Amino acid sequence: MVMNHFEYFAPRTPAETLELLGRFGSKAKILAGGTDLMILMKNRAIQPECVIDINQVQDFRTIMCEPGQGAVIGTNVKLAEIQFSEALQAKYPALSYAAGEVGSAQVRHMASLGGNTCNASPAAETPTPLAALGTKVVLSSQSGDRELPLEQFITGVRQLGLNEGEMLTRFILPEPAPRSACRYAYMGRRDAMEIDSVNMAVNLELQPDGETIRNIKLVMGSVYPRPLVSQEVPALLNGQRLIDELIETAAAAAQGEAKPIDDIRATAEYRREIVKVLARRLIQETYAAAKGV
Amino acid sequence: MKQLIELNINGRNYEVAVNPRDLLIDVIRKKIGLTGTKKGCGEGDCGACTVLIDGKPELSCIKLAIACQGQKITTIEGLAQEDGSLHPLQQSFVDHGAVQCGFCTPGMIMSSKALLDRNPNPSPQEIKHELSGNICRCTGYKKIIEAVEAAAKVWSQEGVK
Repeated sequence: MVMNHFEYFAPRTPAETLELLGRFGSKAKILAGGTDLMILMKNRAIQPECVIDINQVQDFRTIMCEPGQGAVIGTNVKLAEIQFSEALQAKYPALSYAAGEVGSAQVRHMASLGGNTCNASPAAETPTPLAALGTKVVLSSQSGDRELPLEQFITGVRQLGLNEGEMLTRFILPEPAPRSACRYAYMGRRDAMEIDSVNMAVNLELQPDGETIRNIKLVMGSVYPRPLVSQEVPALLNGQRLIDELIETAAAAAQGEAKPIDDIRATAEYRREIVKVLARRLIQETYAAAKGV
Repeated sequence: MKQLIELNINGRNYEVAVNPRDLLIDVIRKKIGLTGTKKGCGEGDCGACTVLIDGKPELSCIKLAIACQGQKITTIEGLAQEDGSLHPLQQSFVDHGAVQCGFCTPGMIMSSKALLDRNPNPSPQEIKHELSGNICRCTGYKKIIEAVEAAAKVWSQEGVK
């Protein structure tokens, strides 16, 4: 199908972008990579009156990742840039790995981190590790900026906590704690060009003894309308040394929290099984990595 | 409303009148007449329409032409030398029988070029990972991977550009 007619804008600065967004509001769609947007428009699922192409805005394309200072990633940083950034690979391997497993090389060179979040697909790859890492999104409009934890920003299937005239402009990632590690894993029907049936990230921090868990965050994707942050896993594991029995109990608890659906990619029953497998695997892996084993 | 834009394709500037909704693949094929780039699925899944934009592999079937102003676009026609001699990747595809019906070939070669420009010495696993967005329905993947591996050897020895 052919797309509807629309007006095209290519602003060069964040201020110009926000001015256009203030003027057109929900009549406008923001074009970053277009790997989701163009397909929705070609299928006439959406017919925006205007398209704001943000690819000329350099501020949206920058990664700041200095030692000891976390990272700030612009909304239109391409997934391939996150996959190949040595600074991000070193500090946030779970995020670089997840970005490198999205779609194909072509998709990763086009698609942006902001788009992968704002498309708000329950099966999206990068929101899962971003949430596990404690990422905040910066939402900007002409009246200023506000910050929100990522898991509060995605509110449902294709739904965001965005006000009229507002857009996601950057991600703020905290510096990883000492003695901590974050890992990502996924399961799909095939390795390439697939959409995950389940994905998961675990971020785990140890106490100074190097044995006891201070804080664990387990986030599941594709098993709930939005990234699902486990409440039970930290309740079970914080303050504990990890033994096999506890891993099993925690994995079963995560399984109990997941609320997957049957769809073309997997049955709910299969997804629940996989949650347990990935949880077990990732808790072990991150614990070992945090210990430096 | 048509707008006049300038596209740089294979080192040459083309002035074309486009609608904002016109896709790069259609402009390249129909307005400019470079039909080497193929249109397959039209949804960014098959990779037949892959071109390089500022050296990166992108899908021209889900790319607005108007968004490509000021960028360097390379299509399969831009790889051979002026005297007609083939680019080492093209030659390697021919030598290894990596071309069957040929429809996926331009996309395969553009993706391979982007890979080898970034990493002239990829492992077979990396080649598979980076080419996973290019689908061949003749199922000639084995020979395609071999062709890229062989081209990579020439690449690292001679420093092809």
